[in-house]
Amino acid sequence: MHISEGVLSAPVLVTGAALAAAGVSVGLKKMDYEKIPQAAVLSAAFFVASLIHVPMGPSSVHLVLNGINGLLLGWVCFPSILIALTLQAILFQFGGITVLGVNTVTMALPGLIGYYLFGRLIKGENRLISLAAAFACGFFSVLLSGILVAGALLSTGESFTTAAKLILLAHLPVMIIEGIITLFCVAFLRKVKPELLGGVYEKAL
Amino acid sequence: MKKRYNTRLSFIILFLTVIILIGSNGPALAHKVIIFAWVEGDTVFTESKFSGGKKAINAPVVIFDKDGKKLLEGKTDNKGEFSFKIPKVTDLKIVLNAAMGHKAEWMIPESEIRETGSIVEKKSAAEPSGPISVGLSKEEVQKIVEDSLDKKLRPIVRMMTESKNTKPSLTEIIGGIGYIFGLMGVALYFKNRSKK
Repeated sequence: MHISEGVLSAPVLVTGAALAAAGVSVGLKKMDYEKIPQAAVLSAAFFVASLIHVPMGPSSVHLVLNGINGLLLGWVCFPSILIALTLQAILFQFGGITVLGVNTVTMALPGLIGYYLFGRLIKGENRLISLAAAFACGFFSVLLSGILVAGALLSTGESFTTAAKLILLAHLPVMIIEGIITLFCVAFLRKVKPELLGGVYEKAL
Repeated sequence: MKKRYNTRLSFIILFLTVIILIGSNGPALAHKVIIFAWVEGDTVFTESKFSGGKKAINAPVVIFDKDGKKLLEGKTDNKGEFSFKIPKVTDLKIVLNAAMGHKAEWMIPESEIRETGSIVEKKSAAEPSGPISVGLSKEEVQKIVEDSLDKKLRPIVRMMTESKNTKPSLTEIIGGIGYIFGLMGVALYFKNRSKK
């Protein structure tokens, strides 16, 4: 899912960086005392998730965990993901420094959208709806990331449909696994610490 | 009380991730594509793979000279390999374009091509120099030695290039997590100060 250095053209990189900067500044403003440790934990989870691989056809894809990041953090997932991506770029050479902006947007934005789409459902009374929404959030965040990556690759001349098809097909198992992971996280939090799900949502609004 | 609960929960989640990570210490870890190339005689061999060992199949490879002019292009076969005759003596930049925004490069400096290339030239120049009475000529011996050295050294060259692209080590992983928590500490510190 990480776009490598030197693939994208300058306008795309600049747009990505600008969008990421906007997201990060909103995120930093919304980051209150309570949320800092949460953001750090989820950032660390995102950081190591990229090392967990799902073998898939000729290539292999890794977990993203942007769904659960967005769901629990809202706007704060922008700084959280940016930090994790920076460290991945420096330590693992995944992605790269110049593509940080684009990569941050392609991964954090779907998380944020998932948060607005499903966040309300997840804190609801009905356990079944809540868990279904958690699965959907994990699933769609990866799906949306794939579509955004394909969109970013448009500028390289790689046709959108082929790129999107390739990415989405390759990430199908990841989507399902992420859906399940998000589901279990939410199930766990509902039982152990429900105010984390509800409280987060109310505070950020 | 609430805060203590929060940190405890954080550590549970962190431990779970680390356990999953160590448990999945399988063959395929990092996610990055690499290409490496070496010269043998007048041919350049390349091999492409995703770090973790999966071969990059059917991926387009483009070769540029040092001015960035495209010399030729091709595709990797089903073993992730691609070879081509040296089109001209210059620095060669070999670029692999795996799909999904993955890209890798490998440089072959002019000197490396010149070295192996000159041997080939010398050999062809030496050939018509008439019959040699005893055994092998100096050039032929040199050629044989070079050839077998190339063959013998190939796995070593390969190993060295691969070792440059190993998967992330545990130190780096733990280090990264450490950085994140360090940043958390800094953020909390500043938040705390501004509150006073």
